Amino acid sequence: MQELALLMESGCVDARDEEFVRLVKQAKAGDMAAFEAIMRLYERRVLLTALRLLNRNLEDAKDAAQQVFMRLHRSLGQLDENRHFASWLYRITVNVCRDTLRARARRPMLSLEEAGAGLVSAAADDTVRNEQRRMIYDALATLPERERTAVVLRDLEGFTTSEAARIMGCSEVTVRSQISNARVKIRKYVQRRQRRPL
Amino acid sequence: MNCAKFEPLIALYVESDLPAGDARLVEAHLETCQDCREFASEMRDSQAALKELRMDFVEESALQEVRAEVLNRLSAPRRTAAWPKYAVAAMVLAGLWAGWLWRAQPVAPLAVQPRAAVIAPPPVIPRVRPVRVSKHRARAVPAFKSEPMLVKIVTDDPQVVIYWLVGQNGG
Repeated sequence: MQELALLMESGCVDARDEEFVRLVKQAKAGDMAAFEAIMRLYERRVLLTALRLLNRNLEDAKDAAQQVFMRLHRSLGQLDENRHFASWLYRITVNVCRDTLRARARRPMLSLEEAGAGLVSAAADDTVRNEQRRMIYDALATLPERERTAVVLRDLEGFTTSEAARIMGCSEVTVRSQISNARVKIRKYVQRRQRRPL
Repeated sequence: MNCAKFEPLIALYVESDLPAGDARLVEAHLETCQDCREFASEMRDSQAALKELRMDFVEESALQEVRAEVLNRLSAPRRTAAWPKYAVAAMVLAGLWAGWLWRAQPVAPLAVQPRAAVIAPPPVIPRVRPVRVSKHRARAVPAFKSEPMLVKIVTDDPQVVIYWLVGQNGG
């Protein structure tokens, strides 16, 4: 169990880890404690990704994360223990967030005060870095959904372009183009904001 | 290739996302182009700022909330919609009730008790020899005029008597 705790701390288990495979088998057999342990391994990454894809709307991100884990529970029977579990979970997260964004398009926008609640910066006391951080989040929010997803997966979640392409269900060339567009737009947005007095 | 076409390539080059061949092309261009070198430098800065977000984390309370909600939903007994069961039960009950009504319906009593019928012998009809009449002669035959005949039919019930007014021509 201590081993599992260490894995959970690192947050970087893979489906091929022996301990993880055992957890999946137990969860498939209906062991809720095993399912909770799987949730604990991935909940940070799922919620954080959802927050980034949903422009820091905490309520939407929590709803999305819940949906992701409910889908995971429903799909346990079909889960291949040898498959790359993280990619598969990210794919569900991306799809759920896409659905949430479509639904949100019919709802009023989030106020600036509400955005970012629940998200904590490592540089909480550094005003300049915090301002820059907010600016980057604002830049991400201006991007089209596909470009934002591509750049979040590549630059924030650390996937390679081929992994990001697999998660997004498109070609590597398309994802590379989306990443490139997103980076250029973020740079332009940051430059515009830095030139303009706040 | 002009500088505008290099921008998207530089955006990938700064994070080593370009295939080797394209990367060499960009490197060769950067050696000769000051503007693109500046663009690459700015791109590296904005990428560094973007990667700062990797350090962000979510509050523990939000994680607990998600976990609790998921476990709560999974442990709750599965509630299926109850209305189909009620609908079937209502249909069965309605059927039973309709059947009971049909069986309990009283049979209307006969107004007149049936009696043994007295069968009268069939009337003897005198055989008439058929007469062949041609069309023009038939028209020439004058209508037979006589008084209508009144037929009285007495039934078994003394209160029921039928009168039938019959013409000689059968009308």
